[in-house]
Amino acid sequence: MSSRPIRTGLVRPGETRPRESRETQVSVFPLAPPPSQQALAFEPRELWVGLHLPWLEIEALQQTVREVPRAVVEMQGQTQFIVAACERAQRFGVRRGMGMAAALALAPNLETCARDVTRERQLLERLATRAHRFTPRVSLVPPDGLVLEVKGSLHLFGGAEKLRRAIEVDCFEAGVKPIVSLAPSPLAALAGARAGKSLLITDSARLVGEISALKLVTLRWPAEVLERLQKVGVYNVGQVLRLPRAGFARRFGREQLAELDRLTGRDADLRDQFRLRERFRRKEDLLQELEHHDAILSALTPLLEELGEFLKVRQCGVTQISCLLKHRRVPRTRCVLRFAEPAANPKHFAKLFGEKLSALNLSEAVRGLEVRSGDLVSCTPADASLWQPGEHGGETRGHAPELIEHLRARLGHEAVYGLRVLESHRPETSWATAELAARTGKPAERVVEDHVSWFVQRRPAWLLREPQPLIERNGLPQRYGALRFLEGPDRVEAGMALQGRVARDYYIVRDSHGVRLWIFRDLKSPYAWYLQGIFG
Amino acid sequence: MSANAPETSSDGLESLLQHPAIWRGRSAAQVSVVPTGFAALDAALPGGGWPRAGLIEILVSHIGVGELNALLPALASLTHQASARWNAWIAPPFEPFAPALAAHGLILERLFIVRTEQPLWAFEQSLISGACEAVLAWAPRAPSRDIRRLQLAAEKGRALGVLFRPVAVAKESSNAVLRVIVEPTDQGARLTLLKSRGGHRGSVDLCWSHYPTQGRVMPSHPRKRSDSVIGSL
Repeated sequence: MSSRPIRTGLVRPGETRPRESRETQVSVFPLAPPPSQQALAFEPRELWVGLHLPWLEIEALQQTVREVPRAVVEMQGQTQFIVAACERAQRFGVRRGMGMAAALALAPNLETCARDVTRERQLLERLATRAHRFTPRVSLVPPDGLVLEVKGSLHLFGGAEKLRRAIEVDCFEAGVKPIVSLAPSPLAALAGARAGKSLLITDSARLVGEISALKLVTLRWPAEVLERLQKVGVYNVGQVLRLPRAGFARRFGREQLAELDRLTGRDADLRDQFRLRERFRRKEDLLQELEHHDAILSALTPLLEELGEFLKVRQCGVTQISCLLKHRRVPRTRCVLRFAEPAANPKHFAKLFGEKLSALNLSEAVRGLEVRSGDLVSCTPADASLWQPGEHGGETRGHAPELIEHLRARLGHEAVYGLRVLESHRPETSWATAELAARTGKPAERVVEDHVSWFVQRRPAWLLREPQPLIERNGLPQRYGALRFLEGPDRVEAGMALQGRVARDYYIVRDSHGVRLWIFRDLKSPYAWYLQGIFG
Repeated sequence: MSANAPETSSDGLESLLQHPAIWRGRSAAQVSVVPTGFAALDAALPGGGWPRAGLIEILVSHIGVGELNALLPALASLTHQASARWNAWIAPPFEPFAPALAAHGLILERLFIVRTEQPLWAFEQSLISGACEAVLAWAPRAPSRDIRRLQLAAEKGRALGVLFRPVAVAKESSNAVLRVIVEPTDQGARLTLLKSRGGHRGSVDLCWSHYPTQGRVMPSHPRKRSDSVIGSL
């Protein structure tokens, strides 16, 4: 031991070595556990989770749970065969691969539906997206499996057993019942899961021993190869591994030998990584046509929840979501939500779509939905504040966009606006609407100018969009009777000749109700009087 | 307690009133307030200003009798706070004139306008959201039974809600914290406190314009003026 070079603690990637015995370490504190059989364990380079989804065909159809046995059927040649059966149907004896007639004879009230391969693929991709919570290395194994490399995540999730439990719970939440196995090679994990076993192999030395009992069917080799192997009395993995390599390759194919090498971890198993989509897009055809807003919203909610999951995994938000409602005859209705800040909360989306739909007048019933996200914007979720909003020190900024989005969803985008001041002497053009922006920090203090108090006295708080002509009697303007002139004239001349030059004499008057008005006389013929504004 | 009482006895009375066993009606309402910007009005309101959270009803015969002038100083001071929330104006009867509001001291970046046919819905949402410092709403046909909901929403969102209603509803009962009738006077407005939770009823005259009373302004016809004046401008 003394001849060994100084340990740096570095292990080159790809290098596996047994754990060194703890006795060589001189430690002041007894941090390390006492040496045990663990000292002999071989830590694998990689640790894979194999996820097998035996009920995917049924789960993909996502139908309401009813108290009837259900099965998914597929046309093979001229007859329909059972592809998957729910547990209730299995209790009647309905099995995969059974003919339709035989299944109906066993369970007369069997409810059958056609297999939907695209939905199965969608569900698998959805699970793969969700699995990014655990690791970035996720690969699809179509049609009904996933593999995840989780070596780096073990510590975070508190060990292999807890990680497996977390993955199972996550799948249950997505409405899927999986079988999860852990093994140092992806094929081994997958084969274990397909055999219905929840293997937990974290030691590469134990790998071959643990999987030797697995049936060869779990490797999904071509039927003809399996048949020939059966003829020589080889049924499980252990038996096939005992065959001589050269002979096996010659008789059963190089493909199968390479697969065995990948199974035992002798060869690296390179897999295409599942790439998360850049945008969310999801279509849903409804089983029945919907007219009521509530019904449409409840059909939309699962899609929005899926969008929320997608955004959560990507740690992104969206500033725009569009929802297309498909009708039978008329063109699709488009419903767009825009957000002031990147948003990712499906509940918030649903609330806003609720407002949007209630304002919508649908000409026809809806038979299909589609949700599309805009570009993803990376956003970190806000930390929850200790204080309630509005309380002293409470965070309030995060709530403002929600209110404005909520109002806009119901009243329209243009119904909510801000104000800004423009440099102009004409009152009508000296202000404009402004887009509401998320505020950052304290706005710049306005310089108090000399004319502010003059302005406060002589300019009204209310302005009419268009100057309103006043009727005239004896050369004087009238509004609810005669007007009392308080102050004026105050001349405003502005504008270039081309844009319509204005020259006006402004007066402050009081009408018979006691309301102060801001009126002007146009200094051009016919010298008409107009009401411009009202003092608060 | 009369204002012209000798100073010494007033001091004695004040120290006597500090006694914890003495409970006075006015001090019952310990409310957080925002100063109105008018000393006379501050003195008349419980706590010395507009309530910080709650619903105020302002009853006017016509838009523009001075109700906004009475509120603007307080609204402006609310937008100047360090972590100010929004100031929302729901369904205003005319266009708010941005340069004048800025001159009154309002920070326009913290103001938004909502144009809607359903002012009460937008009012309630804004109040309850907790995202607004103050929400002003013009709803001529607000049913009295909704007032209680609005009052609760304002308390929950810790917002100052101001509802402008016609003076005809003064006789109806209301759950608002404060009900004020605003009437125009020659120099400003008279505010009559119809209901003031934890305070007194009464009226206050506010003054904001100093128009010369003699030498009445009369418009002259532009044609009669010398052309040189117009030409020189």
